Amino acid sequence: MELYLYIALFSPLVGALFAGVFGASPKTLLTGVVNSSLLFASFVSSAVLLGYVLDGHTVHVEMMEWMATGNLYIPFGFVVDQVSVTMMMVVTTVSTIVHIYSIGYMDHDKGFNRFFSYLSAFVFSMMVLVMSDNFAGLFIGWEGVGLCSWLLIGFWYHKEIATWAANEAFIMNRIADLGMLIGIFLVYWNTGTLQYDEAFKVMPTLDTNTLIYIGIFLFVGAMGKSAQFPLHTWLADAMEGPTPVSALIHAATMVTAGVYLVVRANPLYDTIPEMGLFIASLGAFVAMFAASMALVNRDMKRIIAYSTLSQLGYMFVAAGLGAYWVALFHLMAHAFFKALLFLGAGNVMHAMSDELDPFKMGGLRKQMKGTFILMTLASVALAGIFPLAGFFSKDAILEVGFVTNHYVIYSVLLITAGLTAFYSFRLIALIFHGEERYKLFGFHPHEAYKFMLIAMSPLAVLAVIAGSFKTTYFDMVTQILPKTEYHIHSEIVEWVMILGTQIFVMLAIFYAYKKYVNFKGEDKEFEKRLCYKILINQYYIPYMYEEFISKPYRELSTIFWKKVDLKVVDATVDCIANGIYKAGENTREMQDGNLSSMLRWMVVGTVLLLSLAVAFGMAVRYADEISAVLSGLGA
Amino acid sequence: MLDHILSLLIFFPALAAMMGFVVHKDSAKAYGIAVSIIEFVISLYLWFAFDTNVSGMQFMESISIVPTFGINYLVGIDGISLFIIIMASFFTMIGIASLGDVKKMKNLVITLLFLQMTMVGVFAALDAIVFYTFWELSLVPMLYIIGAWGGPLRIYASVKFFLYTFTGSLVMLVGMLFMAFLYNQATGVWSFSILEWYRLILPENYQLWLFAAFFIGFAIKVPMFPFHTWLPYAHGQAPTIGSVILAAVLLKMGTYAFIRFSLPMFPDAAVFFMFPIAIIAIIMIIYTAMVAYAQEDIKQVVAYSSISHMGVIILGTFALNVEGITGSVFLMIGHGIVSGALFFLVGVIYDRRHTKMMSEFGGLASVMPRYATIFGIMMMASVGLPLLINFVGEFLSLLGFYNQSHIVTLLAGTAIIVGAIYMLSSFKKAFFGEVTNEKNRNLPDLNSKEIIALVPLTIIAVWLGVYPKPILDPINNSVKSVVMLMHEKSITEEAKTRIPLLEDKTLMQKPQAEVK
Repeated sequence: MELYLYIALFSPLVGALFAGVFGASPKTLLTGVVNSSLLFASFVSSAVLLGYVLDGHTVHVEMMEWMATGNLYIPFGFVVDQVSVTMMMVVTTVSTIVHIYSIGYMDHDKGFNRFFSYLSAFVFSMMVLVMSDNFAGLFIGWEGVGLCSWLLIGFWYHKEIATWAANEAFIMNRIADLGMLIGIFLVYWNTGTLQYDEAFKVMPTLDTNTLIYIGIFLFVGAMGKSAQFPLHTWLADAMEGPTPVSALIHAATMVTAGVYLVVRANPLYDTIPEMGLFIASLGAFVAMFAASMALVNRDMKRIIAYSTLSQLGYMFVAAGLGAYWVALFHLMAHAFFKALLFLGAGNVMHAMSDELDPFKMGGLRKQMKGTFILMTLASVALAGIFPLAGFFSKDAILEVGFVTNHYVIYSVLLITAGLTAFYSFRLIALIFHGEERYKLFGFHPHEAYKFMLIAMSPLAVLAVIAGSFKTTYFDMVTQILPKTEYHIHSEIVEWVMILGTQIFVMLAIFYAYKKYVNFKGEDKEFEKRLCYKILINQYYIPYMYEEFISKPYRELSTIFWKKVDLKVVDATVDCIANGIYKAGENTREMQDGNLSSMLRWMVVGTVLLLSLAVAFGMAVRYADEISAVLSGLGA
Repeated sequence: MLDHILSLLIFFPALAAMMGFVVHKDSAKAYGIAVSIIEFVISLYLWFAFDTNVSGMQFMESISIVPTFGINYLVGIDGISLFIIIMASFFTMIGIASLGDVKKMKNLVITLLFLQMTMVGVFAALDAIVFYTFWELSLVPMLYIIGAWGGPLRIYASVKFFLYTFTGSLVMLVGMLFMAFLYNQATGVWSFSILEWYRLILPENYQLWLFAAFFIGFAIKVPMFPFHTWLPYAHGQAPTIGSVILAAVLLKMGTYAFIRFSLPMFPDAAVFFMFPIAIIAIIMIIYTAMVAYAQEDIKQVVAYSSISHMGVIILGTFALNVEGITGSVFLMIGHGIVSGALFFLVGVIYDRRHTKMMSEFGGLASVMPRYATIFGIMMMASVGLPLLINFVGEFLSLLGFYNQSHIVTLLAGTAIIVGAIYMLSSFKKAFFGEVTNEKNRNLPDLNSKEIIALVPLTIIAVWLGVYPKPILDPINNSVKSVVMLMHEKSITEEAKTRIPLLEDKTLMQKPQAEVK
């Protein structure tokens, strides 16, 4: 089994290096094919491991030592257990599909080889993140996905906005990573190890304050990767990257790393329910907050990005309330339908020559039948309509909120479910239905390559049937996650809730469809309203970050350099040096060699020495009196 | 050969440099390369022969110079100095090999070989006077390199560099003399041997004064805030080779000396000054990172980034536990490799365009993809990405200090944020975007000479990031014995609690004498 583990882990790395060799050379289809096959190999190995884990085994290997000093010992250790194998399956499934899809999507791009190198490197980092058996290994993957995300967001580096967004993402993640790093330090100094199993074994013996600090700092790390408020702005800007990247990194895998961390650290978060409640509340807030921004946005990819953000909020609610398996289940289901949605959006973008404004589309279903069906399917799943995947995972989260008596969180999530349905179908209606507005702008849409659609179809299948895995999945992961089931006691209440939610969501879909299917043009009146302005400007948060953080930082930096470093610190040094130099310069005339002036100086010197001698002699003679006088002064 | 391998390492380059005067000027570079390769091979052999299980000094040699005052030519190395010596010979080698067309090549090669002698000498010296001699001698070649091959402001920069560091060293010399005097008071014999000094227990107030005297000498060399302003000038005016060696090796003298002198000799003072120094380290990290962010000249960005990283090294050193000190020694190596490489990289673009202003560039990634790739890797190493060399040192340094103070480490940890800010924004300015300047459109990518210098550095940066064990283990062993000695020697209660007691009794060295 170890062999499969290594194949699953390292074949993406091999791919990254292979494609990297051809990085600067012109496009070769070879890199795309080789990398996709390597990813497929990784997928197959993960599937084999899944089978092995389903039989009740786990695999744990220690490859080699990484860092060891003092009492610290960090190996490269990897574990395949019920949780990590779930993540591995999600990562390898989505990434294999995205790789194949990208062969078509990046067809005409000059950086084709480079793209595959980065994409495979990302998968490798993500696998390290989920498979590591210790916090340091997690951090390697954590930073590795950050690097790849930077490379891929800024993939079209000639675009100013893309490189800006890449830097923003990296730096914002770094802020969170500091929290993570501090969390790791706390774990080490309190438990003496960074291995998950050993550390979690010691944790129950620690005092609650320490545990809360560990919980907070690790969660700060999670907030950055999973783009939770207030570190969320990078995710929407990250949409400047190629669309397959958005599908893989910024929807299905990397952004869920934070959820994975909380799930992985469940023995820790179980002991500090206060922190869990905070996580859940923040999650509920982000769910609604992000969904509200998606309502009015006019950028197809940003709408989907906000939707991702909102769904991450759902996952954190589940994880925070202790329903780790539910969080992980939603993570999985979400990965499938959200990746599908993004890849569909990629097709639309290609068809529309990279136009992102759905107001300029409309009626595309005639030209793009396949994409239309796939995206509609994904949206239905996202909205949580029975019997698609979203229904099973999202409804479970709502039930968790309800059963644990957190009614505020429950109602927020319920409303958000309606908003989700609304913005999803607003998008579908605007893109695929109604008049063919694109003709006004001179676009000539065409359907994507057939193999791209075929590559997407497994995701569609999974988005439909993922709900049926629920029992198997539950039996598997609850071997290591808390085995809490959430049942509403009264059957009537349960039916009312489920049906009520379904009807509510259907109504939202219907309303969105009705409102936007015959969309004629922008509603000028509506756009003048305050709430619209707030939402379209993302609550003015990016603006405030720019005004109150970036700009002052830039200005302060310049002041530090030009005013403090040059005018104060350095000037002081020069001033001292100049003082000595000037003193020498001014006294040099004393040594002019003129006999009479030399004699004069000699006299001055003699007088000075004599008077000093006299003064000193007097001081010695009257030492007692002087000290008496001085002590008198002191008293 | 093993008995005198250190003397060979120290004096071979000097002898070769003197022979260099008779070498024909056209073959000077080839001669320099040959000498530095031999030197590098000897230093590798040193590593090979080095017993990693021994924590104390190895390859010791002793020749009496002034017996009345106990001044000996005493050299030896342990895990802490070994790798810095190897790094010094490595950088001299690739530095000479990558030299382009320079005027007066012969003089430059000879100067570099002399510089190499002083560098190896400083890190191998175990006698304070020998140490001081090499420490001061190292200024001369560097003064000459900046003054003769530097930019327009070279005279100002080189004189500033020389006088500033020289002034600091004089204070340090006074400290050394006082230390020897105290040793004489306690034992009745004169000795300048550092190892003998280690065994002396000093009262706390003496420790504080001596610590301060040594501190001024070391702090200017590191350079620590607010003594850092010579560095931007020196880097700004120095030729590429000068900057590379200055950043990679010469700055390490200061941080190395803290571990060699200040910590084991004055453990109580080290604990006493721990927080003030930690605050200086935080200022170095954040303040200079912000100054780096404001720079317009890419070489200045790298220069200020050096100071910022030195802040982390200082912090790790004053963590006073094995994790932190090992991390800081490792980071010395890491920073040497990475900043050396970054200065090489800046030199590459300066050779082509004769400007270092970032506003002159933009879009270089598409013109010079290989250059951009290596620059990108080194930038990421500098930012402290895991699996690259700097991360190991940074992680351990911060981890170590966390045991002393949470808040300080949290503030110092912003290094990973502010570092990313200035590095990424500079990278963006120079490499991303469209090529706007016509002069940049046809720049050639790296040539073979540059690749000789840069590829090995890249390989080392990755190798030691993934597998730091070969050098982390010896460092760890030697650091353990330093920490043990410190704990054993310390007299105040606070120092006893701040410096951990290690279980491994085999490494114990008993202090001998005590000043009353």
